[in-house]
Amino acid sequence: MDIFIQSAAHISIQNPLCEDWFENPIPHTEGYNRSIEPDYKPFINPIAARRMGKLIKRAIATSVSAIQSADLEQVDAIITGTGLGCIENTEKFLSAMVNEGEQFLQPTFFMQSTHNTISSQIALHQKCNGYNCTYSHRGTSFESGLSDALQQMLLGRINNALVGGHDEMTPDYYNMLGKIGYWKQGEISEQTLKRSNTKGSFAGETSVALVVGTTHTQHSLCKLRDVDLLYKPSSESLKQAVERMLQQANLHVSDINAVMLGTSGDCDFDETYKRFAQTNFPNTPTLWYKHLFGESFTAAAFSVYAAATCLSKKHVPQHLVYNTPKPLEQPHNILIYNHFQNINHSLILLSQC
Amino acid sequence: MEELITELKKEIIDVLNLEGMTPDDIDSDAPMFGDEGLALDSIDALELIVLLEKNYGIKLANAAAGKEVFKSVRTMAEYVSKNRTK
Repeated sequence: MDIFIQSAAHISIQNPLCEDWFENPIPHTEGYNRSIEPDYKPFINPIAARRMGKLIKRAIATSVSAIQSADLEQVDAIITGTGLGCIENTEKFLSAMVNEGEQFLQPTFFMQSTHNTISSQIALHQKCNGYNCTYSHRGTSFESGLSDALQQMLLGRINNALVGGHDEMTPDYYNMLGKIGYWKQGEISEQTLKRSNTKGSFAGETSVALVVGTTHTQHSLCKLRDVDLLYKPSSESLKQAVERMLQQANLHVSDINAVMLGTSGDCDFDETYKRFAQTNFPNTPTLWYKHLFGESFTAAAFSVYAAATCLSKKHVPQHLVYNTPKPLEQPHNILIYNHFQNINHSLILLSQC
Repeated sequence: MEELITELKKEIIDVLNLEGMTPDDIDSDAPMFGDEGLALDSIDALELIVLLEKNYGIKLANAAAGKEVFKSVRTMAEYVSKNRTK
C-alpha cells in the first residue's frame, strides 16, 4: 500500500502559510526568534480565539490550511507531536501558583497547560471524533506521531490523518535552555552554522501540519515510504536500519538523490550527521533545514515538510544544500535522518509520487 | 457606581482576553451569558469568580447567587460594591 503526504502548512520564523522560504528564505542573525504570526481571522472565530494561546492558534491555522489544501472536509485521525505543549500557558499557570500562593488560578491557563490540549483543540475546532493522540517524546515527538499515522494506515484502521509538530519557545524557556548550552552566542548566519566548531544552535518555533493519506490525488506532494525510530543505535545498527529501509522500498543507496540531515551548527551533534553521511551515503548530496527554521523539539517536522516540497516541485533550492560530493539531480528519493542529543534517532524515506 | 462599572469592564476585557473591545462596547445592562450581549460561557464564569476573589476579596461559593451576580455588568458592580473586602 502506498501512503502519500497530501498537503502541508507551516507557521515558523519564515513567512507563514506559504512557500516563500523555498525561493526567498528570511535569514536570521539572532539566537532567539519567534514565529511570524499570520492573520488568524480566516481560520478562527475571534470569540474562540480569545481563549487560545499562540501555539493553539498556530496549530489550528496550519491544520485547517493543510486539510483545505488536501481537499478534505474531515480527517480520520489527529496526531500531534509536541516536546513542550503549550509552555507559555504552563508558565503563566505556574507563575500564578507561585505569586498568588496557589490561590486565584485561572482555568484557561490550566486547561491549556497540558500537552494534549493542542490535539484536542484541533479536534474540537474540526469537530473530529476520530482517533486523537499526542506524542510528547522530546526531540522525536513529531516522528513518533508520523510513525503512528503510517502504521495505522498500513493496518487499514484509517485512510488519512492530520499529523502535526507544534512547539513554542518562550523567553524564559529559551534562557533556561541557554544555561545548558543549547544556543550559540553572537551573530548567527548560514556560514557560521556551517563552519561551527562550538556547541549550540539558534532557536526557532515549530508549527507544521501534514495531511497523510492512502489515496493519490492531484494535490499529493510525495510518497511517505517508511519511518523508523531508533534508541541509542550504534553506527552499525543505524547502517542496518538504513539497509533494511532501502531494501523494503526496493531501492539502492544510489537511488537516494539526497539525504536531509538535522545539522544545526552544534558541533556535538553535527558530528553524528557527518558520520552518518560518510558511512552510509559518501557520494550523495546532503541537505539541511535548521538554518532556515531554527532548532526546537519538533524541528524535524520541517525536514519532512522541506523534503516533501522539494519532491513535489522536483527541485532542490541551492540554500538547502549542505554538501555536494556530486551534482544534485532532480530528486526522486530523499532519506531524512534526524537525531535528538544522540539518543533518539529517526529515519524517514520519501519518494516522488 | 459608574466608575466601578467602567473598572469592571476593563478587568473583564483583560481577563477574558476580549481583543478589540473597549469598555464602551459593553452594554452595562446587557446579559453577560447566553446568546445575547457578551455571550460568555461557563469557563468565563470561572474566570469571573477568580477575578472577584482576587481583585475584590469576594468568595462566590453559591452557584445560584452567581446567576444573579453575573446577570449584567451592572448587577456585578452592585454586588461588588456591597460585598468587597478590598
